Amino acid sequence: MDMQDELSTFSRGGIVTDDRKTLTSGKPIERFVPKEVVIPLIQHLGNPCRATVARKAKVTRGDRIGNAIGGVPIHASVSGVVKRVALQPHPTLVEAEAVVIETASELQEPVWEEVSNWEELSKEKMLEQIADAGIVGLGGATFPTHRKLNLPEGIKVDTLILNGAECEPYLTSDHRLLLEQAKDVVWGAVLIAKIVGAQRILIGIEENKIDAAEILNKAIAKINPSQKVFVVICKTRYPQGSEKQLVEALTYRAVPSGKLPMHVGVLVQNVATAVACYSAIRYRKPLLDRMITVTGRGIMEPKNLIVPIGTLVQDIVDFCGGLHPRTVKVISGGPMMGKALGRLDCPVIKGTGGLIFLTVEEVRREHYGPCISCGRCLDACPLGLEPNQISIYTEAGRQLETESFGTKECFECGCCAFVCPAMRPLVQFIQVAKQSFMTREVMHV
Amino acid sequence: MSESPSLMISPGPHLKAELTTKQIMWWVNASLVPLFCWAITIYGLRVVGLLISGSLGALVGEGLVNYLRKQRQTMLDGSAVLTGLLLVGTLPPGMPLWMPSVGGFVAIVFAKMLFGGLGYNVFNPALIGRAFLMATFPLAMTTTWLKPFEAVTQATPLNVWKLEGVFFNNTLHLFLGLRSGSVGEVSVLLILIGALILLFKGIIKLYIPLSVLAGLLAIAFFSGNALFQFLTGGLWFGAFYMATDYVTAPINPKAQVIFGLGIGILTGIIRLWGGYPEGICYAILIMNAVTPALNHWFRPTRPEQMGAPS
Repeated sequence: MDMQDELSTFSRGGIVTDDRKTLTSGKPIERFVPKEVVIPLIQHLGNPCRATVARKAKVTRGDRIGNAIGGVPIHASVSGVVKRVALQPHPTLVEAEAVVIETASELQEPVWEEVSNWEELSKEKMLEQIADAGIVGLGGATFPTHRKLNLPEGIKVDTLILNGAECEPYLTSDHRLLLEQAKDVVWGAVLIAKIVGAQRILIGIEENKIDAAEILNKAIAKINPSQKVFVVICKTRYPQGSEKQLVEALTYRAVPSGKLPMHVGVLVQNVATAVACYSAIRYRKPLLDRMITVTGRGIMEPKNLIVPIGTLVQDIVDFCGGLHPRTVKVISGGPMMGKALGRLDCPVIKGTGGLIFLTVEEVRREHYGPCISCGRCLDACPLGLEPNQISIYTEAGRQLETESFGTKECFECGCCAFVCPAMRPLVQFIQVAKQSFMTREVMHV
Repeated sequence: MSESPSLMISPGPHLKAELTTKQIMWWVNASLVPLFCWAITIYGLRVVGLLISGSLGALVGEGLVNYLRKQRQTMLDGSAVLTGLLLVGTLPPGMPLWMPSVGGFVAIVFAKMLFGGLGYNVFNPALIGRAFLMATFPLAMTTTWLKPFEAVTQATPLNVWKLEGVFFNNTLHLFLGLRSGSVGEVSVLLILIGALILLFKGIIKLYIPLSVLAGLLAIAFFSGNALFQFLTGGLWFGAFYMATDYVTAPINPKAQVIFGLGIGILTGIIRLWGGYPEGICYAILIMNAVTPALNHWFRPTRPEQMGAPS
């Protein structure tokens, strides 16, 4: 067991908890295609798309159905007929314009033709294909990938990190992806490394996915790329998969506050994004499907699924055996950073990492109490911020005085609120304080 | 489509660690049980009466203020009971049974609730309760210590040393708690066992208690009998149970070390050169007053202060 000492991890804060991944970690990814999809015109950070199809239009899986200036396009994730373009429920925005497509009865995957000489494409060509494919960061940030990969003037990146940490409890779809499509993952990494000019690729996974390491190493040996590729096993510790934490764990480089990993020569990409880039470059295949973990005690048959983007949560629930009678909460994303859904008739979008169904027993509903200055949140914060002070000031209506406690730097990992014995909704206090800063900035412009 | 349930909406994180404020408070209460059992064994059943009296006073104070202020009732969150029990821990076992009630009531009402309740008090409530009793009933507070296993009064080792210059000569008895003293302070061994429970549950850390002990030792070397000073009085009870109170101690580890050293040093100074034989109570209260400043001076360092990337 002396390997234990050598496992990488970030230096400060974080939490270790029961990861509850065994509910689904052994289950292969299943494909599910619903009778209807709802594809919102806004699924990424940036300008929303404008629909390029109208009611009754016939679409084929892969057709472009929306364009955005400065954003990324959206595509029909199934073949069928457009039923309407209208306001529909949205998992994060409550409601948004969406294209509703009725799936054709006969399902046929279009033929994805290989781009000739795809291994030798220029950087510009590859970026163009990634942009056309509508790819966004699938780790949850949904930032358009072609823009992230197009480094600003003067920035040099020597290391590409592939983020396979999947540090949120419950989620297993990245793990399954590594096991089932290791070669595509490595190819994606190699192509992205080419785009950004990185000579070294580090694939970071947590110890609870150690079985993926061997498979990845085999894939690396088979592809035998010109870059150096290493699989690095990290301790299982949240929020390992957060960019700055993973950069530190794998390269010992500290990303200063207000800076990005590229400022210390590192670019981070999620493993699922890498696979999407690979498909876009090799086959011009757009981002059409989303891999998700459907799990928790609140769903009868937890599964790892691959579904067309736009699949409704309700259809997934039905496919997974229905809800447990005591289900009270549905989370889109991981249990730490995900959002609680108020309704089941909203769709899975590009950024949906998982669906977690919690029963009444798994949810805490006590009142929150006063801060007792125990210091647990300070120990848990990976950035060294002071959630206790932010919450106390915000509670008193003095949130504009909290900047020195780090309000603006918080990326809302939730470690502080997780450990708080007084059950204080610390992340929410911080969000309120952030909002006040933003409002002030807008007013002063 | 199946039935649509009513779903809970709340901000993340949607998971929570186990330990709650209430559980912390009751665990601290529970960790005191061995100590109090020992006190009952050597000083008799009247200790039970004292414990009940002190907790009742505290509970009534908490309940009354909540009622008058129309606040959510917090009597059962464990913290009022804890204040009552900790207060009794600092009292001589032979004192009238009604007195701890007065101390507990004053501790909760004046040192805690009037500051805004749990989390907002500046001074350790139990110690304010003790200081109040000391000022109000000085005779009962200084003459009612009992000899172990005998229902007769006996001055504490620190009193004997202060007044007559004689050292208690059995170090083992000091460690085990076979001596006269306040209800909670006599057995160093059992205080350590209680502290181990709290350490194991992740409720306390050692920065404060160890620096209190170190601070006292530094001064005690001037006394001619450092070991005697080290094992007597309320030092251990204060170091592990009073100085570690979250609310009234600083948060930052460095600040905690300074806080602890300050308590230890002040305790030593009061004992050796002050008028009282015992000093831990006032030493902690004085350092409580410094806590807000320590919290202001010692803050976490952030990544931008971590130096240039390599």
